[in-house]
Formats: sequence, C-alpha cells, structure tokens
Amino acid sequence: MSNKKVNYRVLSVELDEILTKLQSNDLDVDEAIKLYERGMEVAKEIEKYLKEAENKITKIKTCWQSEESV
Amino acid sequence: MSDVVLSVSEFVSVFNQTLENAYPSINIVGELANFHISKNKWVYFDLKDKYASVKFFATVYKLPGPLEDGLVLQVSGSPSLHPMFGFSINVQSIKPVGEGSLRRAAILLEIKLRCEGLFDDSRKRELPYPPNSIGLITSGESAAYFDFMKIINARWSGLNINFIDVQVQGDRAPEQIISALNYYNSHEKLVDAIIITRGGGSAEDLAVFNNEQLTRAVSASRIPTLVAIGHEADISLAELAADKRASTPSNAAELLVPDKRIVLDHMTRSKVMMGEFLITITSNTRAKLVDKTMRLADIVTQFARELRQSYTMRHQILTAYNPASVLKRGYAVIRSKDTRIIKSVKRISMNDKLDIELNDGFILAKAEHTRIKSKAH
Repeated sequence: MSNKKVNYRVLSVELDEILTKLQSNDLDVDEAIKLYERGMEVAKEIEKYLKEAENKITKIKTCWQSEESV
Repeated sequence: MSDVVLSVSEFVSVFNQTLENAYPSINIVGELANFHISKNKWVYFDLKDKYASVKFFATVYKLPGPLEDGLVLQVSGSPSLHPMFGFSINVQSIKPVGEGSLRRAAILLEIKLRCEGLFDDSRKRELPYPPNSIGLITSGESAAYFDFMKIINARWSGLNINFIDVQVQGDRAPEQIISALNYYNSHEKLVDAIIITRGGGSAEDLAVFNNEQLTRAVSASRIPTLVAIGHEADISLAELAADKRASTPSNAAELLVPDKRIVLDHMTRSKVMMGEFLITITSNTRAKLVDKTMRLADIVTQFARELRQSYTMRHQILTAYNPASVLKRGYAVIRSKDTRIIKSVKRISMNDKLDIELNDGFILAKAEHTRIKSKAH
C-alpha cells in the first residue's frame, strides 16, 4: 500500500538538484545524459508514490478512553 | 444539644467534621478581592458579591495563571474552620469564568509568558514539509477531525497519521492534551510534526488553550508543533507558543502538506524541461565541436603557411650561398696545382701555377707578384 522506501523529501531535493545542474553551462554530454536519466527516474518515482500510496491512520490508546469525548 | 459543653478545640473538631460531611466540596463563583501571595507559596484571597465575602486559602500550585482583583472566578474547595485563623475555604481548583474574566486572565498570562520569551520568533522551528509522519491531537468526533482528515487525504499520500483522541474543552482537556504531547515527544522517532486542533466555540470552550500548563507544554515540545484553534477573535496562548499556527483545522492541513495535484503537474513539467535541457546541451556541445574543428583547421593552415615561408627563406639563403651563384656574380675560385683551393696570398710564391675557375670556364695562370691587404681592410 504505502511505499515505505520512498522518502518524498529526499527525492524532491534530488530532482531540484538535477534540474539546476542540467542548466549549468559547463556540463559534459555524458554527464548530462546520466543526469537526465536519473531525473526521469526520480520524477516517475514521485508520481507513482503520489498516485498509489495511501495515508495510514493509527489511533493510539489512551488511559482516558473510557470517558466520553466532547 | 444545648446542654453539651465543648472545649474550643473540641468545637473546632466537631464543626469541621460536620462541614466535611455536609460540604466535602463546593463550587463558588464570585469576584476576586484582596488577592495576595505570601512567601511565593501561600495564596490568600476573598471571593465576594454584592452582599457577602468569603475567605479562601490556596497553594500557588492551584493558580491557573496570574490573577488580579476584579476577575470573576469559579473556585472549588472544602470549607474549614482553622483552629487559629478562623474560617476559610481550602482551594481545590480555580478558574476564571465569563468572557471578560477569561480574556483578562489570558492577557495577564500572556504578559507573563511573553516576558519569559515563550513566544519569541527565535524559538519557532519550521515544520518538515511535507512530514513523513504526524501526531494528531484532537477530538475524534469533532468536525475539526473530519475537516482535517478530508483535506489531508485530498492533498497528500503516504502519510503516517498517529491520532490521540482527547477532550478539547472542559476541565479534563488540558491534562489530556498535555499527556498526548508528552507521548509524542517521548517517542521521538514516531512523528516529525504534531498538530493540535479544534473548531470554533465559546470563550469558555476555548479557555483550555489559554491554560498555563498547556501553553508551556506546547512551547517545550521538542517536536515541531502546529496549533489551529478555529475561532473569530483572539489568538490563544497555545497558538502563540506553537511553532506554527493555522486559523482552522482545514487551514492546518493546507499548511502541513503540499497539494499533490500541483506536485504531479510539476513532475510533468520537470520531465519536459529535462528533455529540453538535454537537447540544449547536446546542440551546444555540437556547436562547440564545430567551432573547435574550424579553429583547428585555421591553426593547421597557419602552420603550413609559416612552414612554407620558412622553407622559402631558407631556400633563398641556400641559393645565395651556392657557389655557382657566387661565381655568377663575378667571384673566382683559385686552386693550386694540387687542386686545393687557395684562400690566402701567403700560400702563393712567384711563378706558381694557378688554376682559376670562373663561372663559365678555367684559366691556367702564373703568379707574378703578391701583396697583402693592410689591417684596415
């Protein structure tokens, strides 16, 4: 269900870094291709995560549970 | 009964027992008067109304916050007759009542806590955006809970939501909320942000969030905490102490996580941009390559030209030094009979046979006379 291995924040930062690097002037074509491929991979992982993962609710037991809540 | 004679102490004892049986605990509301604290431990005050005034006694731990004369308070306590100091009520709990007093008490507490620096901007931390796991503290049956969950589920995915169901108004609320805060803070790997929220309500309902202990607990929370109390007017002290505040439970959800529709759109655009960047880079690289090739061609051409010039020059020099050219200019080569070239007049004596080579032939000659050139030459 929810993909525990995906850390959205980490991937998001990585994508931003790749976008920045791809705009720099002194980039080797080989490096650029590698960055492009990784960038596409990251974007696809993020898309998959957002489309498929679900929010998971865990209710924590309390010692006052037997009482009425407001 | 009137025949019974008691000593003073006996009377006090019996009277207190009667009081205990009849009034183990009572609640009285009145206006605070003659409020003072002794030795930072003992609190003395009166509650009065138009016709009467009663004395109270408490320890500082019972105070809900800073108080001042004129506030309307509801006090619960047990009446007793002190053997020495007379009648007073021992306080169990104190709380301001009525919108005016609640607001005034909150202002007094706000001043005190602000002086302590609890609300300083420098103490506020950013919440992780988005968090991986959150600790929600709210009432499970409230509209606040449903509103918050609805927006969170619409906006984001893959979130771990830990939820502690608490009362969000009434006397039990502060201790439950503080308990929940302590729980999350003591399980540090569990959540990376805490959200405390409730919807709108009356001044009494919202008084929980002006409670001193609760406000201090929010301020002390090591995990970044967002407090969202939906209401129209004043901001509660818990919200001032929080790392972030939101105006409503829905607003809290909006501040907490991005909108995945916008993020997905950004992903689509990013993929297009990356493709365009790659095209730019390859065409720039190709252009640079063409440029370098042309420059290389220029250099090679230039080198060849220089080489040819150098060759031409050397050829000219060589040509000039060619003996055949020299002879053409009128010089002669003189050889002695043994075919050795003579360079000095000292080698020639009178009547020596000389072989003179000119450009187009030879002369056989005999020397008559030699003369050495002076040094000046």
